Amino acid sequence: MALPNQQTVDYPSFKLVIVGDGGTGKTTFVKRHLTGEFEKKYEPTIGVEVHPLDFFTNCGKIRFYCWDTAGQEKFGGLRDGYYIHGQCAIIMFDVTSRLTYKNVPTWHRDLCRVCENIPIVLCGNKVDVKNRQVKAKQVTFHRKKNLQYYEVSAKSNYNFEKPFLYLARKLAGDGNLHFVETPALAPPDVTIDLAAQQQHEAELAAAAAQPLPDDDDDLIE
Amino acid sequence: MDGQGKEGSSNGANAGGGGGWSDQCDVVARAFVEYYYQTFDTNRAALAALYGQTSMLSFEGHMVGGAEEIGRKLLGLPFEQCRHAVCTVDCQPTPSFPGGILVFVSGNLQLAGEEHQLRFSQMFQLVPNEQGSFFVQNDIFRLNYG
Repeated sequence: MALPNQQTVDYPSFKLVIVGDGGTGKTTFVKRHLTGEFEKKYEPTIGVEVHPLDFFTNCGKIRFYCWDTAGQEKFGGLRDGYYIHGQCAIIMFDVTSRLTYKNVPTWHRDLCRVCENIPIVLCGNKVDVKNRQVKAKQVTFHRKKNLQYYEVSAKSNYNFEKPFLYLARKLAGDGNLHFVETPALAPPDVTIDLAAQQQHEAELAAAAAQPLPDDDDDLIE
Repeated sequence: MDGQGKEGSSNGANAGGGGGWSDQCDVVARAFVEYYYQTFDTNRAALAALYGQTSMLSFEGHMVGGAEEIGRKLLGLPFEQCRHAVCTVDCQPTPSFPGGILVFVSGNLQLAGEEHQLRFSQMFQLVPNEQGSFFVQNDIFRLNYG
């Protein structure tokens, strides 16, 4: 959903809400997409910045109107107006901060209270940082709630497209949809240790084959 | 916050009149507001001293009580630097609560690292304490958006 002062388009577009604790990198993440960054609009009454992110698929263009806060989440939960008419979502946490993962269930609950049955991606950001506090295999929340999980690094563009591809496939109802062109991204600010990250991805895959841990509070201690 | 409450006698309904409690009320309210936000922006840990054991804070819908808990809540907010810019201050004496002052503030708030300012509203109920100063009995804070 575009803002009233924002241009609409004649190809499929969807409101994407991005939530998660302050400082997890939500704004940094959406700002990587350069045309979205140029065309973003701020609406002070709602306190939201909307970035129109276009992607090119084998079925044509798709646009995500990506709703990003102005930092209100640092004061408490967000208003319903932020979530209303959300058609897909990204919940972000910071793999270098356990607390931000611990708060993921709260963000998920707040989101689902307003937006029932929308596709959601959980993103663990900052995987470029050496000293991770949340290991790949400790991330289990998505399995309990049927979300997709991706490890991302906004600063290095690692896996930038993955969450959008997953959401586009869900929204289009086409598991074979794919991107045919890469959107213009800001050049990487850091490089990622690909070998180490492949190790993390392998751990994640191995963990997915294990039974879920028996805790019922969805938290890591 | 230094002893002006002693002069807060009972002519609380003197709204709009020249001089008297209404003016006093305004002076106290403005001095408090200036001190409160300056302290919030430069030494948040010192805010707890403005509250008492019976104080209540509703912060974006989350309520805490008692100076200690309130201090912890304010100190624990997940941002380090911020700057309040007050736009309006309104106040009223509270005749049924002798010497008390109701203060309503609106303004803007800039967090370090955020591009856009946030708008906020905050209400304080100031009550004289035994030392002849004031403490914050009630404090309700809201961001204005959505």
